[in-house]
Amino acid sequence: MTDWLFLTEVFLAGLGSGALYAVTGVAFVLIYKATRVVNLAIGEILMLGGYAFFGAAAGWHLPAWVALPVAILAGALVGAVVERGLIRPMIGESPISVFMVTIGLGSILAGFVQIVWGADPLRLPEFLPSAPIFIGEAYVAPKVAYGFLAAMVVVTAFVLGLRFSRGGVALKATAADQAAAYSVGIDVPRVFSLSWIVACGVAAGAGVLVGAIGGISPTMGVFGLSVLVVVIVGGLDSMAGALVGGLFIGVVEAFAGTFLGGEYRFLVTFSILILILMIRPYGLFGTHEIERL
Amino acid sequence: MRNWTRRHVLSAGAIAGAGLALGIRPLAAQVADEIVLGGSIPLTGVFAFAGIGIHAGIQDYLKIVNDAGGVEGRKVKYVAEDTGYKVDASVAAFNKITSQEKVSLYYGDSTGFSKTINPELERRGSILMAGASFASELNDPKKYPLQFMAGPDYSEMFGILLRYIANEKAGARLAFVYSDTEFGRDPIVPSEALAKTLGLEVVEKIVTPPGSVDVSTEVLKLRRARPDFTIFHGYVLAPIPEFIAQAKQMGLASRFMGTFWSMDNSTVERMGEAADGFMGVMPYRYYYDTEGESPMLEKIRQMRPEYQSTAYLQGFVTALLMCEAAKRTLAAGKELTGANLKAGLNSIKDFDTGGLFGVPISIPGNSVPIGRIYAFDGKAKQMKPASDWIRLEA
Repeated sequence: MTDWLFLTEVFLAGLGSGALYAVTGVAFVLIYKATRVVNLAIGEILMLGGYAFFGAAAGWHLPAWVALPVAILAGALVGAVVERGLIRPMIGESPISVFMVTIGLGSILAGFVQIVWGADPLRLPEFLPSAPIFIGEAYVAPKVAYGFLAAMVVVTAFVLGLRFSRGGVALKATAADQAAAYSVGIDVPRVFSLSWIVACGVAAGAGVLVGAIGGISPTMGVFGLSVLVVVIVGGLDSMAGALVGGLFIGVVEAFAGTFLGGEYRFLVTFSILILILMIRPYGLFGTHEIERL
Repeated sequence: MRNWTRRHVLSAGAIAGAGLALGIRPLAAQVADEIVLGGSIPLTGVFAFAGIGIHAGIQDYLKIVNDAGGVEGRKVKYVAEDTGYKVDASVAAFNKITSQEKVSLYYGDSTGFSKTINPELERRGSILMAGASFASELNDPKKYPLQFMAGPDYSEMFGILLRYIANEKAGARLAFVYSDTEFGRDPIVPSEALAKTLGLEVVEKIVTPPGSVDVSTEVLKLRRARPDFTIFHGYVLAPIPEFIAQAKQMGLASRFMGTFWSMDNSTVERMGEAADGFMGVMPYRYYYDTEGESPMLEKIRQMRPEYQSTAYLQGFVTALLMCEAAKRTLAAGKELTGANLKAGLNSIKDFDTGGLFGVPISIPGNSVPIGRIYAFDGKAKQMKPASDWIRLEA
């Protein structure tokens, strides 16, 4: 039946956008888990990643497989500088102050990008294969499909990495109890630094995927806000939550957009957010003691 | 006689200092006969891509006018403030500029600002305003007597597109894709009605939330509807290219069209493969258009040898029409009040804009309902005319 085909296509498209939410959500979760900071500048770091890729691929004419690591490194570098220069001096300050610092950082990054690359919306050079993909008879937009694959690889790597790698265990230990982590010899400031570096690198990489689909502009940081909804639904400190939350919101938005109309997409998303906050204020997979701002 | 103690001297000094700091200046600071064009200009924020061009366009036109001796011998001074495309910042800029200068002309940056400031414009009665908004609602001389727009309003832009489509393919199936913003929704309802009277069928209306990145589900809806023509409105670039690319991959044979703010040549060029054949409505000729006589475009090309955006042209044309209104008002020996300026503007009939509009224009109301369909030529990498100039009846 064609209707089933159509529903499958809508579902797959939803999974595709959900995967982008999930991979950006990872960046939120990583920083929150390690440092208890909600980094509202993630959207702008994502934007910076898109622009760094653009600069490397269109400005320096590097091939995409070089430009992508350049973008990720640029994001990681910003993460390192921001953590060392802005966030570490704020340790011990109220969460609201740190939160405000990240908002300010977002504006600075948006301004910086506008000064360097201008205010015009831009397109990234095409680097993903453009041949249409069919799963059975169902059409999937190629960029969305490759974005989905890349996002799944990254998120799975993080879920596994947190569980099995030394760094992941150190991060979980720091998240559980900083003093205890110190006492068993974990270098807590280094964990903080690394979580910012890795998270901002991931966000920058996500920026390349998002930019490949929707183009880049100094205002694309608002994407970060949609992702904040996803991580609150999934649980601010849960990798699995970011994955499930991202895919879930992606699919719900796709069906809402198709059957109710685009104007109801956000209405449905935010209704879910309110519902989740009422039933499980710590998110679907989050731990109970999360302090919310 | 009062005994001046040190305390008195100090407090007198402090008061004088405060006066200076607050900007109390000699009254003759403003050159008496200057005409002031104020502007709430979005040099940062979501509309900055256009604001920067608009700013340059206004400055260039005023330079041309002032170098030639001004408007009826009076120089035009441009005073602008950045607004970040926020209505509150635009209002603050308006208040600041109008409190410091005797403003006669004003450029506003958004529909929201134009609507918000309208009662204040009427109360002052001394300013003629235009701006970046082509909102259909503003095209009502009764409700907005002291405003105008330098082109067709959004519904008129759709009107021009629909007339072209009706000529090309009778009974064509249409889809409207628009952003869920005031800008996006503006022409949809009246255009649906107009499509019906022209014998066209609107088979799908797709709304996208502002800032949405992935449009795959919307493209699926578009494929189901199988339109002959798809009109985008309320966007600049994203998500149009991805929409077109995916629709083409699905084998959809629709033609894709846009309205003024998505018609800049370099913006369309950035759509990549999707750009080829992209069409839309433009009230002005493009920077590179050398067809026929266009002395103003020549001047622009001399001043700026590199391509200038459609936003630049919009700023330039707006300043031109404002100055023309001021010139006619002064030439008739009238004072520069809002009502007189508007009457001056409305007296423009079969007026040659130096080739900026492709045909002579008249402004009987608040808009200039003229436009032409352009289509992107992938080989030449330029928007090329696809129709004659289309003039809507007032």
